[in-house]
Amino acid sequence: MENYLEKLPSFVDEIKSIKETIITNIVLIGQIPSPTFKEKRRAQFFMERLAECQIDECTTDGYRNPIGIIRGTSGAKPPIFVVTHLDTFFTQDTDHNYVVKEDSITGPGITDNSVGLGVLISLPEIFQKLNLRFESDIVLAGVIQSIGKGNLRGIRHLLKTWSTPIRGAVCIEGAELGRINYYSDGMIRSEVECNIPTVNGWEPKFKPNAILVLNEVINRILRLRLPQRPRARVIFGKIKGGFSHGIIAYDAKLGFEIQSDSDKMVKEIYSDIKDIIAGVSHEYEVELKLKTISSLYASKLRYNHPLVKSAGEVMKELDLKPVSEPCESELSIFLFRKIPAVTLGITKGENYHQQDNRMEIEPMFKGIAQIIGVIMAIDSGVCDEQ
Amino acid sequence: MNNKWLEKNTFHYSEFMDLNLLVEKKRDRKIKISLCLPTLNEEKTIAKEIIIIKSELMTRYPLLDEIVVIDSGSTDNTKKIVRAYDIEFYDADDILPNLEKFKGKGENLWKALYITKGDIIVYLDADIKNIHHRFVYALVGPLLLYDNVKYCKAFYDRPIAIGKGRMRPTGGGRVTELVIRPLFSLFFPELTQIIQPLSGEYAGCRELLESIPFPIGYGVETSMILDIYGEWGLDAIAQVDLEKRVHRNQDTKALGKMSFAILKTFLNRIEKLGILDIKKDTFNEMIQYYLVKDEYHPDTYKIDGLERPPIIEIPEYRKKFNIK
Repeated sequence: MENYLEKLPSFVDEIKSIKETIITNIVLIGQIPSPTFKEKRRAQFFMERLAECQIDECTTDGYRNPIGIIRGTSGAKPPIFVVTHLDTFFTQDTDHNYVVKEDSITGPGITDNSVGLGVLISLPEIFQKLNLRFESDIVLAGVIQSIGKGNLRGIRHLLKTWSTPIRGAVCIEGAELGRINYYSDGMIRSEVECNIPTVNGWEPKFKPNAILVLNEVINRILRLRLPQRPRARVIFGKIKGGFSHGIIAYDAKLGFEIQSDSDKMVKEIYSDIKDIIAGVSHEYEVELKLKTISSLYASKLRYNHPLVKSAGEVMKELDLKPVSEPCESELSIFLFRKIPAVTLGITKGENYHQQDNRMEIEPMFKGIAQIIGVIMAIDSGVCDEQ
Repeated sequence: MNNKWLEKNTFHYSEFMDLNLLVEKKRDRKIKISLCLPTLNEEKTIAKEIIIIKSELMTRYPLLDEIVVIDSGSTDNTKKIVRAYDIEFYDADDILPNLEKFKGKGENLWKALYITKGDIIVYLDADIKNIHHRFVYALVGPLLLYDNVKYCKAFYDRPIAIGKGRMRPTGGGRVTELVIRPLFSLFFPELTQIIQPLSGEYAGCRELLESIPFPIGYGVETSMILDIYGEWGLDAIAQVDLEKRVHRNQDTKALGKMSFAILKTFLNRIEKLGILDIKKDTFNEMIQYYLVKDEYHPDTYKIDGLERPPIIEIPEYRKKFNIK
């Protein structure tokens, strides 16, 4: 695996020569609806496709994460994981039929994460095309129950039950090409729900309005003075409520996330928000329920960790400009377990998380070459002496 | 009437999922298989059809020997997209250029017989939003595995895309239920067992397809069934359930024009067969009305009901395929 960097530019054209296979995999797996907790059909296709490639082992773990294993030449080296999530934000009845043009693919969830999955299940054929063998076993895993309320259960289970050490990991996200994530913020994801009880017969004219109550909660959270160091923020990501324009809202729900590179700070802010909610509940005489749906500890690799440095070199060789931000995904679980890992993006896109989400085809080939470069770096031992 | 044919010659696509077996059968019989996609402004769907079918049935499993696109004069990016994916693209007018030129799906399918080299030819509409390679292998399967089957048609549950990402779970097939099925019930009750006689996806053996005439336009599916039924019998036909097919919805006026062409073809056929004697020539114009500012305006659409003869009668074809 020496001199793997030099080979990367030539890989791009070779990968492109099997573009129909890669695009087909992206489309066929992406068109299967896969909302969190309902990933069964997509997982089945994942397995079928890997079985068709006749890879050495194809199975599911105890949590029904589909996994394929390409046996390495060494037999002694720990495995390298390549992971992406199977679930999407879109519901079962959304039209998942993609539109393919000569330079793009458009449709719900294409960048998050059909392209990631399509590339993952194409890797055995890409390795074959590039005539690549690795010392380590390569474990290709599509993990279920990752996003939102899934709370990364699939990857948590996979790593918790994996019995041998893991050499390193690459997590794949569809977009944006150039991202390199090697640290995760601590995070608590919560929902606060306000329900105004209805009464039989005539409703009082001036009863509390669930939307206004949550508005007050938001205002009070915004008044919190968050520190610049440790870095911290509260993101209001989801809100819904009410029934009709002229009717006082009976119910409303707010979804938010607290993020910080300090777990202690996340807990402190959570505690403040809990107090705010208790206060508003008391003052407005309404019931407010706070529910935590997901949480993560902050974890990171050093900037000068050999894996981060190698990934940077791979990107430089391919003329990609690395951009790093915190990433709360499968990466967090690898890092929490002290397994060196990075998250990489495959291509460029637009209209993220919308029905007409679009990905560009051409940059994808560089994105794939970059992933292979990082796998080769791990296989050459960059994670071994830590 | 009994339903024996329905029971014996109706399949589900899952019966043909063993693609290695199909490839083996094809090799044993030393035959070639061609896919023809007739197009007219299909830039939204054509790339996906080509990529999936090429990748799955040419690269992964060598079941198909060629894919050709025959176009009726698209003004969108259809041609550019097809060429970008290295697929043969033909303008229908450039095929057999010495013959009079016509526009229509039937014309493209007929000319495909001249262009392709397969012993089995698969025809797929190019507007299938949920294309999957089963649309091809399941149509070819019965022809490869059952000696009696020479022609295979698709049927499916047809959800319609109604915009904004929403789907209506059933629908489509209105012309089938309101036009073709009543006609078949009146004149050929046996043919009512064909669930979707108008489906645009079918495969046939060249020996059969080259021996029947092709209407230029919409009547081609109806005439094919009647001609094959008349010449080779119902047992030569099979049908296969492809489950879901998502396609563009057409408005009632467009379906009216389609029905006109189908009725014309049908009447023509039953007259030839001596079943009905129509004393007067039928007209060639479909007349529909539009209400514009309280006035009704007629909209006439000319459908001549022209047909191409069996292509085996064309000298250029006989020469190309070395037919004495």
